[in-house]
Amino acid sequence: MIRLYHIVKSYGEHNALRDVSVHVERGEFIYITGPSGAGKSTLLKILYGAERPSSGKMLVGGLDVTALDRERVAQLRRNMGIVFQDFKLLPRRTVADNVALALEVMGAPRDQINRRVPAALNIVGLKGREGSLASHLSGGEQQRVAIARAIVNDPAVMLCDEPTGNLDGGMAVEVMEILQAIHRRGTTVLVATHDQGLMDRFPKRVLRLLDGRLSTIEPPKRRSVAPGVGPAERG
Amino acid sequence: MIEGLRRVVRGIREHFYFFVVSTGVVASALVLLGLFAMVLRDVNAMVGSWQADQHVSAYFAAGVTPEVETEMHALVAGRREVAKVERVTSADAAVWMTERAPELAAVFSELGPAALPASLEITLQPEIATPEKMEAFVASLKIQGTRPDGDGVIGTVWEDVDYGQEWVARVHTFLSLLTALGFAFGAATGLATLFLVANTIHLVVHARQDELAILRLVGATERYIVGPFIVEGVMQGLIGGLTATVVLYAIHQGLLVRLHSLLSLAMGAAPTFLPADQVVVLVATGVALGAGAAWGAVRRFLARLP
Ligand SMILES: Nc1ncnc2c1ncn2[C@@H]1O[C@H](COP(=O)(O)OP(=O)(O)OP(=O)(O)O)[C@@H](O)[C@H]1O
Ligand SMILES: [Mg+2]
Repeated sequence: MIRLYHIVKSYGEHNALRDVSVHVERGEFIYITGPSGAGKSTLLKILYGAERPSSGKMLVGGLDVTALDRERVAQLRRNMGIVFQDFKLLPRRTVADNVALALEVMGAPRDQINRRVPAALNIVGLKGREGSLASHLSGGEQQRVAIARAIVNDPAVMLCDEPTGNLDGGMAVEVMEILQAIHRRGTTVLVATHDQGLMDRFPKRVLRLLDGRLSTIEPPKRRSVAPGVGPAERG
Repeated sequence: MIEGLRRVVRGIREHFYFFVVSTGVVASALVLLGLFAMVLRDVNAMVGSWQADQHVSAYFAAGVTPEVETEMHALVAGRREVAKVERVTSADAAVWMTERAPELAAVFSELGPAALPASLEITLQPEIATPEKMEAFVASLKIQGTRPDGDGVIGTVWEDVDYGQEWVARVHTFLSLLTALGFAFGAATGLATLFLVANTIHLVVHARQDELAILRLVGATERYIVGPFIVEGVMQGLIGGLTATVVLYAIHQGLLVRLHSLLSLAMGAAPTFLPADQVVVLVATGVALGAGAAWGAVRRFLARLP
């Protein structure tokens, strides 16, 4: 699904990523972890086209996406769901309008929007909250709206940058369970996090970054057969 | 199309205050421009009336016979610099004067009908309005009036040729200054207007930059994002332009017309409101300003987004 070859990203003198090569298979669930400043966000930004690698090459779904123009970046993002720590919702719009946004920008017809938005909200457990204003929801609920927006057009890949960073323990677990459910439907999921507790609770393959370098690729811990470990879950 | 309109309406509804402020700023800018255009029109009309007045009075010397007067009249009328020439006899002049100053009637009847000199009242073509050309015309008129006297001495048929020498020179300098000032003020007004509208719309887009970032993140193309902003800009230009026209009309009726009646002696032609085609240009300027500023601002913010 995702292939990175010798990716380097420098900001002036500073190298945020140094020679990162990774393969992520279709349907995998992967953590990207490492201390603050290790390059986790930078790696995701390169994947969704917000930054261009200084050198190296990358493929997403067999397509070379190393240096796309703005128009192609927009196309790429329509096939990705992106989730951030700070949700990035439009606070004065309703839950349904926020989720519909991802379909509207593609020019999806109204009836399709009316069908898919409730379905996505159902998956994140917000059925019936369509008409609430985004700003009236709790943090956990807002993050679930953001996840619904990310999955509403059935993307092949989902990129999450610290999706539980702003949430307390209970809500973080809820969000992780939703991500697991999405993964079980066949979506490739990449989650950047430094929450070791969550990684222990939902063991998956781990890419560990250290100062911009890929230090280790760990297979999922075997000690528990956590619920939600799908068949695609290989080392 | 319908989807696009929905988005425009939603954008205006969600940011109605910004829409009103932007429209107000466009309207103010256009009032400024329109006022300038109106004053310029008035000044132009004024200049036109002054130039149309370029006038020479050539007074005949005492003792010039009516035959010579007739001959000079024909000569002057034949010159191409001359738009119109009117012969005024001593009697005509006395009547004219008596009409305006009845208290002088007694003086004239005492002095006799020849108290005032006969004259040719000459109106020149507008292109002779510069001091140099008028001076040249008067000089050649003086040469044409030269006659050998009975005693072999050179004499002239003119008592005096009067064209308000100083007045012409002063008006001319003043008009050149006025034109230069007009251009400077016009350029300043235009720049101020552009600056005002561009900055306001820049601020409005700034307030909506989170929305731009989110749209971009979910895969919106630049065209999709910019479109509604441009339509909003067009609407602001239209509404602002029509508002400005109403305000300008009120200013015209309430202020300029009254001011004019106070100064009518100096100004000549009555001020007229902007003609329809200039109103259309004003509104079109608003539309171009609104749409252009929106396009520029959104593009600038998008360029900064990842
Ligand atoms: N736009 C930028 N300009 C300059 N340096 C940058 C920029 N973005 C990131 N960096 C640097 O690159 C390095 C990696 O940053 P990145 O945000 O990827 O870290 P991270 O692993 O996501 O950290 P955190 O856990 O704090 O989110 C950091 O040293 C950061 O200062
Ligand atoms: Mg980060």
